[in-house]
Amino acid sequence: MIMIRRIRFVLALGLILVAAACGKPETTPPAPAGSDKSAPSSAADETDDAAFPTRLRGPVEITFWHAMTGHHEEALKAIADRFMAEHPDIRIKLVGQGNYGDLQEKLTAAAKSKTLPVMAQVIETWVTDYQQNGLVQDLTPYIEHPEIGWTKEELEDIIPVFREANRWDGRFFSLPFSKSTQILYYNTDLFQERGVEVPKTWDELRQAAEKLTFERNGKKVIGIGFENSVGWQFHMWVRQAGGRYIDEATGTVLFDSPEGRQALDFIAGLFKDKIARLAGEDQYMSNPFGRGDVAMYIGSSAGIPFVAKAAEGNIHWAAAAVPAGAKRAVPFAGNAVAVFDSATPEEKLAAWLFIKTLLNTDNTAYWARETGYLPIRRSALESPIWKDFVKDHPANGVGTEQFDAGFFDPRIPGFDAAMKIVQKEIEAVLLGEKAPGAALPDAAAKAQAEIDRAKARSRE
Amino acid sequence: MPDKPNLRSTAKAFVYLAPALLVLGTFTIYPIVESFLLSFYTDYDYFHDRVYRLGFDNYLYLLKDPEFHLALRNTAVFVIGVVPISIALSLGIALMLYRPIPLRSFFRTVYFLPTVTSVVAVAVVWRWIFHSDYGLLNFGLGLLGIQPVRWLTDPRWALPALILFAIWKSLGYNIVLFLAGLSNIPETYHLAARLDRAGPWRRFWSITFPLLWPTTFFVSIVSIIGAFKVFDEVYALFGGSPGPLSSALTLVYYIFVKFYREQDYAVASAAAYVLFLITFLLTVIQLWIGRKRTAV
Amino acid sequence: MIRDALSRGTILFLLSLGAALMLLPFAWMISTSLKAPNEVMLMPPKWMPSEWHWDNYVRALTMAPFGRYFLNSVLVTALSTLGELITTILAAYAFARLSFWGRDFLFSLLLGTMMVPGEVLLVPNYVTLARLGWIDRYEALIIPWTASVFAIFLLRQHFLFVPKELGYAARVDGAGDFRFLWTIMVPIVRPAIVTIVVLKAIGSWNAFLWPLIVTNSREMRTLPVGLTAFTTEAGTAYELLMAASAFVIVPMIVLYLLLQRSIVEGLARTGIKG
Repeated sequence: MIMIRRIRFVLALGLILVAAACGKPETTPPAPAGSDKSAPSSAADETDDAAFPTRLRGPVEITFWHAMTGHHEEALKAIADRFMAEHPDIRIKLVGQGNYGDLQEKLTAAAKSKTLPVMAQVIETWVTDYQQNGLVQDLTPYIEHPEIGWTKEELEDIIPVFREANRWDGRFFSLPFSKSTQILYYNTDLFQERGVEVPKTWDELRQAAEKLTFERNGKKVIGIGFENSVGWQFHMWVRQAGGRYIDEATGTVLFDSPEGRQALDFIAGLFKDKIARLAGEDQYMSNPFGRGDVAMYIGSSAGIPFVAKAAEGNIHWAAAAVPAGAKRAVPFAGNAVAVFDSATPEEKLAAWLFIKTLLNTDNTAYWARETGYLPIRRSALESPIWKDFVKDHPANGVGTEQFDAGFFDPRIPGFDAAMKIVQKEIEAVLLGEKAPGAALPDAAAKAQAEIDRAKARSRE
Repeated sequence: MPDKPNLRSTAKAFVYLAPALLVLGTFTIYPIVESFLLSFYTDYDYFHDRVYRLGFDNYLYLLKDPEFHLALRNTAVFVIGVVPISIALSLGIALMLYRPIPLRSFFRTVYFLPTVTSVVAVAVVWRWIFHSDYGLLNFGLGLLGIQPVRWLTDPRWALPALILFAIWKSLGYNIVLFLAGLSNIPETYHLAARLDRAGPWRRFWSITFPLLWPTTFFVSIVSIIGAFKVFDEVYALFGGSPGPLSSALTLVYYIFVKFYREQDYAVASAAAYVLFLITFLLTVIQLWIGRKRTAV
Repeated sequence: MIRDALSRGTILFLLSLGAALMLLPFAWMISTSLKAPNEVMLMPPKWMPSEWHWDNYVRALTMAPFGRYFLNSVLVTALSTLGELITTILAAYAFARLSFWGRDFLFSLLLGTMMVPGEVLLVPNYVTLARLGWIDRYEALIIPWTASVFAIFLLRQHFLFVPKELGYAARVDGAGDFRFLWTIMVPIVRPAIVTIVVLKAIGSWNAFLWPLIVTNSREMRTLPVGLTAFTTEAGTAYELLMAASAFVIVPMIVLYLLLQRSIVEGLARTGIKG
């Protein structure tokens, strides 16, 4: 007990001293009066268009933060290795940052602490914010450069829905890299067994889910599954219902509408009738789907390799285009590459040269084949690498059939914060904690508040 | 050895103290003060060391933020759920382990095992045990005829799951503290009581329990303060999220989110000082009751 | 007491039941880690794998750079423990045996900081490290942790119990303070030093929040951080997850079984958790 008494004594002393310590704030170092309060942002970028070097003067190392793991990471490394073999004076340092959420956090923190890498994988919705804060390099001068740039054909070869997602007022602050869309995965064994056709409309989807929910040998099969991040999919459902989501130009939230309500009611109804489930502790829907616990799900085409792996030896499966509601609408999401303004001109040049290689026809086809993402160039869709691949892997071709119905998320500051709120409200609905009628206006109001807050912040 | 300090002896002492003071000054004392000031920054650019306005806004923000209220409530439920059960169980086990019994050292080793293992690693195991379809726990409940519980995905069960895990993890440490306390009770008291023919329960309530009171109190304070700071368990059990619908959002998790995910340094500091205030008050109460007890 | 109230058999039964519950997660972890993937999800669960898949360990450890994580953990644990030991011995000696101006004030100030929860330090420390350019480097994982008020306090108390006469005798022999400290004082308080080392090593090995925040790249992760990242990488391949967890847990269990006495006594002595 001696020790305990001693510790009490310590704590007693502590009481007095902490109070004493807190009373003397002058111990903090005085804040140095900074001079770079009004850091130059966009204005400076336009003037140095012609000024950047187009040839490297010595070896350069560029750091590339990405969110690729496993086989994806190996494929990226293979491209970087081939590039480095051709450009001995450039070293690409690939730094994996975990998942996209981690990557975004690290980038935000790095921007604040001025430790940004030369380039990074980014999601287009982040780029607007980066651009407004002068963090990203405008790539247009590089693209248009007669010597080291792209020809007009090379630029227009990029599939329009991807190209436009990376253009802000005619300028490219990022370029599309890994692109994916939503597709319908279905368990062919179960579809056959229950006599279900591939659904093409909302009604068929619902009927299929009903038929595919049943019990077998004490094991419950659920008709349809949704990713835990179902809130991010809500945009698609609203558009399919014929509604509008969030206006990119004005930042106005529009989904609290009859169409939005229809979309939410549709999904919530599936959960209410217990013919749908979330991935839950299985993290991603590919896991329970691959085990045969769920008969179908609508999810990212980037999940194909994961579905294939989880299904191996368990189930047979195939993929199809996403069913349509009142309208056809399929999101194209994924990520892009951006170069940060904090890099030196030499580093920026090296990064551009790498991006050019990374996004050429051969590499985008290779990347798509290895990862399950979509090729970003029309020429790649015609390439033998891709054609042979799709012949053996029809699921990977499904996404390219939906380009005509494609849309992308509004790229406005605060979009991610708004989506977190939508996610939360929808999750509450699906878990039966909140009624759709209450959640939808709440989600819209809070999402609007986030967007307005972000807008006010970036105006400062 | 000079008994009175002079310039020479002071200089010499500071040579000895320099390494420790350098580290502690930079990474403990400075941040305590800095964080306190930061909690009053309402308009600032922290990385450029510029403060435009000071005030209580951050504390007011906490006062109004429903997420913070949720975090406080969850933390309180967690503390109330973990501490009493853990203390009662560990006291019982310590009493059983106190006197010679076969396999005593084996039992001590086993009960203490969870305490030394990494929270994060063992939480991965618990996640598997809590799995709603394939978890051991639901299988066990199924044998008893209880419907499966969605431990980690139902907002109503996330906190109980966390509590269960935390009790399991904390037992060993409390048992050790109780065993240390029990060994300080002089044997003569028990002998005297036995001569008076006092029954076992009476002896427990009139001798062991009062004499063990300082230990019990100490254990509860240490446990409460520890429980108020729960973070690793949440992060690992719910895969880097605060549970379904934030149902396991705790105070430190809130600080983590504000600081790391949202880069809202000032609010994070204010929340950290609220945590400090809570632990500080608990310590004051402990000192007060502790003194009262010894006076009696 | 309870011994008299309950029979010996009942006590043994209760203790065994409790011990089984304590051990269950570990046993389930090992069992799952050795199963074939299709056996992992069997209901009712199987305790004994029909085939022992030791290759799960190889697969898990090659899926993510666990070797690197392990080395990082060893390096960080070893260096921060060593650093703490040096700063602690020097500072504790000064507080116990040297007289200097402001000693009591300084000592109390340091003790006062023990009241403040570590979470308060998080933000400014992160910024300090960012300014030093130490984010995602070993310095950030090690240097902030190379001094501890608690360790200084603990060791000072032990130094105080060493008879003063020993110091005078050494002085007569012509030994300076520095030599006296390392050749005479340190060996005398060995048990306390072992306690400090063991507690520090456990805390450092298991630390999570701090390494999570200050590391960016995979190459800098310690085992606990690497393991949480692996939980997303491995999906629901629970046999691999369990193998990886075992890899993190087992070294500490071995250390614990070897140093049981000093660990338990050390923790009993502190009353302060990690």
